[in-house]
Amino acid sequence: MGAAMGDELELLRAADPVPAGAGRWRDRPLDARAEAGLARLLHHTRTRRAGRRLMLRAEAAVLALVAVVCFLLSDAGSSPAAAAPGPIVPHADTRPVPLAELARRAEARARAAAPGDGPHRGSHVQSWYLSMQAGPDAAPPVTVPEERITRWNADGSGSELVVATDPRHPGRPVIHDDDGHWRTVSDGKVLHRRTYPAGSEAQHGGLASRTRPPTDPAKLRAELGWLYGGAGGARTVTPLLQALSSFRGEWTPGPRETAAVVRMLADAGGLRPAGSVTDRLGRRGEAYVHDGTGLRQMVILDPRTGELLGLEETFTTDQPDFKVKAGQVMSYEAWMP
Amino acid sequence: MSTDDAFAEAYRAHYWAVSRFVARRLDGSAHEVEEVVAEVFSIAWRRRTELPESPLPWLYAVARNCLSNTVRGLSRYRRLLNRLGNHEAAHRRQTVESPDAERPGSWVHEALARLSSADQEVLRLTAWEELTVEELAVTLGCGRSAAAMRLHRARRRLRAEIDRTRTTVSARAGDDGNGGRNG
Repeated sequence: MGAAMGDELELLRAADPVPAGAGRWRDRPLDARAEAGLARLLHHTRTRRAGRRLMLRAEAAVLALVAVVCFLLSDAGSSPAAAAPGPIVPHADTRPVPLAELARRAEARARAAAPGDGPHRGSHVQSWYLSMQAGPDAAPPVTVPEERITRWNADGSGSELVVATDPRHPGRPVIHDDDGHWRTVSDGKVLHRRTYPAGSEAQHGGLASRTRPPTDPAKLRAELGWLYGGAGGARTVTPLLQALSSFRGEWTPGPRETAAVVRMLADAGGLRPAGSVTDRLGRRGEAYVHDGTGLRQMVILDPRTGELLGLEETFTTDQPDFKVKAGQVMSYEAWMP
Repeated sequence: MSTDDAFAEAYRAHYWAVSRFVARRLDGSAHEVEEVVAEVFSIAWRRRTELPESPLPWLYAVARNCLSNTVRGLSRYRRLLNRLGNHEAAHRRQTVESPDAERPGSWVHEALARLSSADQEVLRLTAWEELTVEELAVTLGCGRSAAAMRLHRARRRLRAEIDRTRTTVSARAGDDGNGGRNG
């Protein structure tokens, strides 16, 4: 094709966003992950699916909250425990701690950390997600509480456990989103349990889980952007905090990574200190709030260590298509060591 | 060669091509791309008895189905975020005014984005996946002549959009007396 500028297909070819000769998806022999994927299909297809589905759900959990759901809540008479927890309100009489000050505390702790102090793969999170329907016949959203523990050991063995529970109301029935069907189940019901023998980790990890988190704040931010951000990366605070949440679902940071997280948040701007709070697990934390259009995000950090304790996302405008009202909490995630 | 061997061969030969196919279409992170590609091959594995002699266009067809399911889920969430005005992509769309501000190809992408999704797909499959008309027919699940016609029409409409974009760019460049920048 001689007249390159004259041929629309040539122009389009030149604008290929994912070329075959360069970049992450370039042609080359299979990498270890792709090889493992093939081996799994050839030899272990059956055991694999449930694990991968869980991983998808764990890592993209926030997507699950907009799954189209069928309203199957049978026992309308007894109200489940987690009907609609409200947003966390900062204590009025406290002096907010600036993020930069907390970053210094976290950095001091990082300097004193031993070489073996984290990070480790896996996470322990208690979450409350608003499960919504869309459309004219949408039912009002419900909050789905879950506890999720993923562990990977040095020998590559691991386990996943998902339990329906709301620690604020022990013993009361809770709502469970069963692939789009809302059901009430008893507190503590095991939704998923799986153990993996030694050597399994390499086969079950995604790219995100194989990429050890950097301890440099700028590098961490870049990595959160390309690994967990959408097409636009994590250039503004809203996607940055959402990427941070996805990251925390994969990794439990040690003191060095925690220091990088807090410094990254301090450098990001757009987060204002809101004072101290008591989170849904009864822990004391410092709250930092980002007000986006229609959505408020509150990140909660441990005031002594800077560790990420929680992230709350609250609607600040009505969303009639989803029957969502301003003030409803879209999600709250509480991470544990 | 057994069905399983044929599948393994197709997997090795086309893993990266399928990854690129997904990466070009999924408005998502590298991690999400990997997940979708795994799903594509998992579905292809279940349907491996249907694997044709040249499997790539067929794999693309599987990937298209897979993507439309994934994107339905993702897009619902993104639509919500976009409406809230928070999503990065929404911001970017508002702030990028010059078609070639970010990279040389971006105005071609803009022209492409103004076409119908069916036109876009035919053009992407031809230009980026480099499919022949016969292969295009396999991926799109239509006859050869229908594929040829769809490509012909889509090309014409892309041409028109490109011409329109370039006219707008030169006019805009002329307005600020800054024409050299786009040249």
